[in-house]
Amino acid sequence: MTRTRNSRTPKKRPTGRSRAWLGWALKLSLVGLVVLAGFAVYLDAVVQEKFSGKRWTIPAKVYARPLELFVGQKLSRNDFLVELDALGYRRESATNGPGAASVNGNTVELNTRGFQFYEGAEPAQAVRVRFSGDYVAGLSGTNGSKLDVVRLEPLLIGGIYPKNLEDRILIKIDQVPPYLLETLVAVEDRDFYQHFGVSPKSIVRAAWINTSSGAMRQGGSTLTQQLVKNFYLTNERSLSRKLTEAMMAVLLEVHYDKREILEAYLNEVFVGQDGQRAVHGFGLASQFFFSQPLSELKLHQIALLVGMVKGPSYYNPRRYPERALNRRNLVLDLLAEQGVASKDVIEAAKKMPLGVTKRGSLADSSFPGFLDLVKRQLRQDYRDEDLTEEGLRIFTSFDPILQMKSESAMAETFKRLDGRKGGEQVEAAMVVTNPETGEVQALLGSRQAGFAGFNRAIDAVRPIGSLVKPAVYLTALEKPSKYTLTTWVQDEPFSVKGANGQIWRPQNYDRRAHGTIYLYQGLAQSYNLSTAKIGLDMGVPNVIKTISRLGVDVDWPAFPSMLLGAGGMSPMQVATMYQTLANGGFNTPMRGIRSVLTAEGEPLKRYPFQIQQTFDPASIYLVQNAMQRVMREGTGRSVYSVLPRSLTLAGKSGTSNDSRDSWFAGFSQDLLAVVWIGRDDNGKTPFTGATGALQVWTSFMRKADPLPLDMPQPDNVVQAWIDPYSGQGSDASCPGAVQMPYIRGSEPPAGAACGGQATPDESVMDWVKGWMN
Amino acid sequence: MNKWWFPALTALALLNGCASVPRGSIPVVDSGSQVSNGERVSANRVAGPVASSGSSQAQPVPQDSGVTVMIPQGAGSSPIQTFPAATGGAAISSGPITPGPVDAEPFDIASMNSAPSPASAPTGIPRSNTASGSLSADEQLDGPVLALLTTAQQQQGSGDYNGASSSLERAQRIAPREPQVLYRLAQVRLAQGDAAQSEQLARRALTYANGRPDLQAGLWNIIAQAREKQGDSAGAALARQKAQVKL
Repeated sequence: MTRTRNSRTPKKRPTGRSRAWLGWALKLSLVGLVVLAGFAVYLDAVVQEKFSGKRWTIPAKVYARPLELFVGQKLSRNDFLVELDALGYRRESATNGPGAASVNGNTVELNTRGFQFYEGAEPAQAVRVRFSGDYVAGLSGTNGSKLDVVRLEPLLIGGIYPKNLEDRILIKIDQVPPYLLETLVAVEDRDFYQHFGVSPKSIVRAAWINTSSGAMRQGGSTLTQQLVKNFYLTNERSLSRKLTEAMMAVLLEVHYDKREILEAYLNEVFVGQDGQRAVHGFGLASQFFFSQPLSELKLHQIALLVGMVKGPSYYNPRRYPERALNRRNLVLDLLAEQGVASKDVIEAAKKMPLGVTKRGSLADSSFPGFLDLVKRQLRQDYRDEDLTEEGLRIFTSFDPILQMKSESAMAETFKRLDGRKGGEQVEAAMVVTNPETGEVQALLGSRQAGFAGFNRAIDAVRPIGSLVKPAVYLTALEKPSKYTLTTWVQDEPFSVKGANGQIWRPQNYDRRAHGTIYLYQGLAQSYNLSTAKIGLDMGVPNVIKTISRLGVDVDWPAFPSMLLGAGGMSPMQVATMYQTLANGGFNTPMRGIRSVLTAEGEPLKRYPFQIQQTFDPASIYLVQNAMQRVMREGTGRSVYSVLPRSLTLAGKSGTSNDSRDSWFAGFSQDLLAVVWIGRDDNGKTPFTGATGALQVWTSFMRKADPLPLDMPQPDNVVQAWIDPYSGQGSDASCPGAVQMPYIRGSEPPAGAACGGQATPDESVMDWVKGWMN
Repeated sequence: MNKWWFPALTALALLNGCASVPRGSIPVVDSGSQVSNGERVSANRVAGPVASSGSSQAQPVPQDSGVTVMIPQGAGSSPIQTFPAATGGAAISSGPITPGPVDAEPFDIASMNSAPSPASAPTGIPRSNTASGSLSADEQLDGPVLALLTTAQQQQGSGDYNGASSSLERAQRIAPREPQVLYRLAQVRLAQGDAAQSEQLARRALTYANGRPDLQAGLWNIIAQAREKQGDSAGAALARQKAQVKL
């Protein structure tokens, strides 16, 4: 094992002086031998210790929600294909093996890959999906068998990296595709199966080739030596390191068999750089360059990856496609030369394009805003080491399709609004959730997609302006004996003296008073005077209490100005507050994570759906009605110049003083979105809630095409016919009569005749009937 | 001349020793809020005993599929009433006569209530057209939701409550407004010992269970059990009463 320089034992009889010299040399080399032997023992320990334990620390992997397929699902064919592309499905004329898809008009056939989820394994299967309109109309196996529901594998959207930023997807040697091992050995170390760690033969060959060509064309390092170099040593180039490397390579071969060494090599090899992240191993490389699992790679892809090992940045196929193509074909020629594959196979492979995915496509663009949210939630439950080293699998609610739609809605709207003075310094944030489950589906921390700095969606706490008003009206509508949607209220100037002696004199945005109006109109038109009046009547502390029941604990002082949104919230907090409004008065903590599995696929932790009823659904129903009127006839009505009127939506715009913040928050049945626009330095913007944030919101909703809002009418809500001009009870048959919802008992007495007085008997009977029910 | 071999080799050994420090301790970039909770990565699958099954199991009617599904009976089995009956005159938008002074606008109710588009079905459960009087809501429980409820049932049967919850939440994402999914979720939570959430889920389900008295009764029964578990016997009695009345 310790083959060292002691082999040069002197043969000639030395004379006098040189004998003394030799004596010294002998003693010294004996000492050197001992030291070297000790060093070898030490190296042996190092080699074994690191190789036998956990060889790599693996950053946690974060996955998007898996796309579910079932009949009746709202999913357009195009969105489906975007998802398939992101998942690296190959488009083929006929599906052939996992990860293949063929499109034929409205029918898509695909071979799913299968995946281990929290509640069990999803098998790989051959599936046929038929689309009709924007819905899935048929789902079956390609053999015609009935399928109820199928899940695609989830898109990997990022990882949680330690400082050295090494990343890899571990692979097992029996999972590698055909040709990979042969190609690797043929290109990098053709004597791999014969040598003992170091190959004198290849050193000689390399030396011969290099001297004859006059350039460093071939290295004599074996795969084992390369592994040792990457795995145990630094990048330093010196003779002593070279010697250490050789010793360790031999030691490694003594302890482990060739397959183990090869498997370690496959996982250790450096194949590219992704920004700050070092891409290690063929498993991750395959995802990084082809968005496909390694096992699906074909010969031409394998040749490229193996060819790149020689110089990952020099042969970077995205930056130097021609260079990479030449290298790949050189590798393929070598394979033909060595008889690894037949001529036909090689020629076919050489005709293939490089096939690397584009940068910035769904697959390898990153979503730093959402990942930031996930990390914050994870840090509450895990230590940093667990996240960066244990290879945990984090399953989130992230919806890449909705994220792409919010990003493009943001980009397109800003492009359109670009002409506005002062528009350049404006920043933005956006949160998209599912109001029925409380899951965060998309998140933008900046107007710029992929921006990884200040996460405004979570950290920018800004005055919410009129977004607070639904809380004021909800507080009022919880007292049906006092306020209904059609209660007359005054929108007239007034002033109140604050606790500090200051006079507070609210004003409407248009600086006009609107006289006597229906209560709901104050919200729909976002009138400040009437809203402030109602809020003061309810009491500022009670309105703040309502906000806390909506799910956001604010530390606002109980000043009257809070009624008009002087208090600040982050877009995430606004989403939480509006989620309770959208979800029938049930509050759900916002969730970005569904579950966590170990590296081996064992269930570890679940983040379950949790709700808390904090309001009677009836008062929420009324507020939703008024918020629908915001969209139909109020400050949000511009949406219907873009969206169909059949799409019932509820929402509210918000603008803080001097247009420093432009907000819009609103929801459909299945989608809630909050948009904020403003400047980081809190300067003035050229936007109001309606001209800024609402435009982004509308553009997003048009792309997302959600389901119309449709809250079931609670038992204790009645629809009453009223005269729209007097607000008095009327009859369905009366001209112009309209229907309004009321909490039972608070509806105006039914009119006897059109425009006439109500007969008390009927209303009493109504009331009694309601009570009986 | 040869003397420097000794220190050189020693230095070499040292250098290489340093060069090959195991990578165990990698500093993390932004280790801002390090949480040192004792439980760290702890499996939290519950495999506890089923605490209750009795009365709530009595309510549902087992179906062929092996899934316990609530079936409402009688005339009340029409689908959830979702659209206010805005049929008649409301469609004619009233003229812009201001009720108050200044520029207040009249109602625009026609546009509010008459918007039942074909796309308004909650995902996963094709809603039967009210007018065409097709299947009742429960019979529609086939396809994905039924399949997932079946899976959940099997998981629950083998004591895997977390798996069952997870499957049920999958069903909930597919059909968020299907009260039977929430009903089953409430049952599992109760079995897991989370009585408070069980009650909340049952209450959420009730808001979607209009016109389905059997299901309502079943939900009130869960609420009764959940309240009992939380030590609220008065509330439990009240819930039990509701369960009776609804039958």
